[in-house]
Amino acid sequence: MLTYVAKRLSQSLLTIFLTVSTVFVLIRMAPGDPAYALAGPLASTGDLEKIRTSMGLNEPLFTQYGIFLKELAAGNIGKSYSFQAPALDVVLGRLPNTIFLAVLAILLAIVVAIPLGVWMAKRADTKRELGVNVLTIAGQSMPDFWIGIMLLTLFAVVFPIFPSSGFTSWSGVVLPVATIAILQIALVSRMVRREVGSNLAAPYLTVARARGTGEQKLTWAYAMRNSSIPILTTLGTRFAGMLNGVVVVEVVFNWPGLGSLVVRALETRDYPLIQATVLVTSVLAVGVQLLIDLCYPLLDPRVRLGKVSVA
Amino acid sequence: MSTINEIPLAAQAMKRPTAVTKQLLKRSSAARRERSAKVKMVLGAFLTAIVVLPIVLAQVLPLPDVDAQNITSRFLPPLSGGHLFGTDQLGRDILSRVLHGGQVSLTIGVLAVVISGVVGVVLGALAGFFGGWVDAVVSRLIEAQLSLPLLMMLLLVVALFGPSIPVITFVIAIAQWPEPARLTRSLVLVEREKPYVQAAKVLGLPQITTLVKHIIPNVINQVIVVVLLLLATAVLMESALSFLGAGPQRPFATWGRIISDGQDFLTTSWWIVTLPGAVIAILVVGVNLLADGLRDRVRRRKETTA
Repeated sequence: MLTYVAKRLSQSLLTIFLTVSTVFVLIRMAPGDPAYALAGPLASTGDLEKIRTSMGLNEPLFTQYGIFLKELAAGNIGKSYSFQAPALDVVLGRLPNTIFLAVLAILLAIVVAIPLGVWMAKRADTKRELGVNVLTIAGQSMPDFWIGIMLLTLFAVVFPIFPSSGFTSWSGVVLPVATIAILQIALVSRMVRREVGSNLAAPYLTVARARGTGEQKLTWAYAMRNSSIPILTTLGTRFAGMLNGVVVVEVVFNWPGLGSLVVRALETRDYPLIQATVLVTSVLAVGVQLLIDLCYPLLDPRVRLGKVSVA
Repeated sequence: MSTINEIPLAAQAMKRPTAVTKQLLKRSSAARRERSAKVKMVLGAFLTAIVVLPIVLAQVLPLPDVDAQNITSRFLPPLSGGHLFGTDQLGRDILSRVLHGGQVSLTIGVLAVVISGVVGVVLGALAGFFGGWVDAVVSRLIEAQLSLPLLMMLLLVVALFGPSIPVITFVIAIAQWPEPARLTRSLVLVEREKPYVQAAKVLGLPQITTLVKHIIPNVINQVIVVVLLLLATAVLMESALSFLGAGPQRPFATWGRIISDGQDFLTTSWWIVTLPGAVIAILVVGVNLLADGLRDRVRRRKETTA
C-alpha cells in the first residue's frame, strides 16, 4: 500500500517536473530573445534589461534553470502583458469556470455512458448494437467545436431555448456541457462495452451463472465490479484529454474560462499567460489522476495488499 | 469467412447427419462478430473514399479557384450558381476551399502519423524487449505525456515557433507517439517470451536482429491499425488547432479556419460552417470505422493462429 502510494506520487511529481522543464527548454529554444517574448511588444529597453537580470538571462543556462525553478516555486510565472497582471492570478481566476464545466460534463457522461456501455456489451454484435456502435464512433469523430456550433445554431438560434453564450444563467450551462459530454459518452461507453464484454465472456461468470446467480447480479455485481478498475484508470487518463476539449468548447460558447483566455493569449503572443495556462492545467490533470489512482486500493484489495501492480 | 461456408458443404459431402444448420452457424457469435467487422470496414472504406478521393483530385476537378473572390456572389446557398457547397463571405467557393484545405490537413495528418508511428514503434519495441532502465525511461515518459492536457503545450509551441506546416506536423507527431509506443511495448513483452525468440538466441542471433527481423514483423499489423486510428485523431487535432487560430496561416485554407471564420455568419448562412464540419466528420468516422473493423479482424486472426 505504502509503496503503491509512493510510486504514484513520484510519477506525478516527475510529470510536473517534465512539464516545467519542457516549458523552460521551449522558451529558451524559441527564435528571438526570451526576454522580449516575456516582456511583450510594448516593453521598453529598461523593462527588457530588468527581465534579463530577473530571469538571469546573462547567466549560464544551468543557473537560469535554477532561477526559473525558484521563481516558479514562489508562484511567479511572469506578468501577462495583455491583462497587466500576474499571469498566474489571471489563470487561477478563470480556472473555477473551466472546472465547473468539466465536472458537470464528466458526471453527465458517466450517468449516460455506463448503462449504455453495459447494454452494448450484453447485446454485442446484434443489429441494434451495431447501429449504436456506429453512432458512438460518429460521436467520437465529430470535431467538438463543430458539435458546439451545431448545437448552438439549433437550440439557440433556430429554436431559441438556451442562451447562446456566456455564463449568465443555469440554462447557459446546458449546451456547453452537452457538447463536451457527447464525445465523452462515446469514448466511455465504448470502453465500458469492451471491459464488461470481456468480463461477461470470462469463465468465472459462466460458473456463477451455472450456480444460479441472477442476470442482474451477474452484470452489475460481477462483471461491472471487475470492470470498474480499468474503467476508472482510463477515466483518470482521459481527464487530461477532456480538459483539451473543454478549452475548445469554451471558445465556441464564449465561456469565461481558460479557453477564451488561451485564444486571446495566442492572438496577442502573451507567452507568460500561455505558460501559466500550461502549468496550471497540467497540475490540475496530474492532481486529478493522482486522486483517482489513490482510490484504487478502495476498489481492489489486491492493490491494497501490494500483490499486483497497476500500470 | 470461408471456413464458415465450408463446414456445412463438407458435412453434406460426407452425407453425415448433423444438427448444425446453416442458420445456426449464421447466428453464432463468431459469425455475428465477423459480420459487424465487415459492415464497419466496408462502410468505413466507403466514407473515407468519398472524402479522400476528391481531396486528392482537387487540382484535376473542374472547381473554381480557391482564393477567387467575387463580391457579387457572396453567401450563395449550396447548389446555386455552380457552387455545390455555396460560397462564403468573400464569394469564394466553399467546396474548393474544403478540398484544398483537406490537402493541407491530410498532408499534416499523414506525415505526423508516420513520424509518431515510427518513433512509437522504435521506443516501444526497445522498452518491451530490453526492459530495465530503457523500459523505465520510456514508460515514465509515456505515462507523463498521457496524463497531461497537451493542447495548451502545443499552443505554446505554435506561439513560440510560429504556425508553419512543419511545426504543426511536428507538434501533432509529438502528441501522438505514446499510443503506438504503449501498444508495441505490451505486444513485444508477450512476444519476447515465445519459444522462437529462445531459438534465435540459441542460434546466436544478435538481439537487435531478433527484434527487428522476427519480433517486430509479428506485432506490426496490430500497431498499424492503431496508427490508422491516430490519423483520425491527427485530422481532428489539426482542425482544432486551426479553429483556435494556431493552424497553418493564410494563404492555406484550413478546415478549422473555414469554420471559425464562418461562425460569424451562422444565423444567415448555415452552410459555411455546417458543410466543412460535416466533411471532417465523414472522413474521421470513415477512418475510425475502417480501423475499428480491421482491428477486430487482426485480433481474431491472431487469436486463431496463436
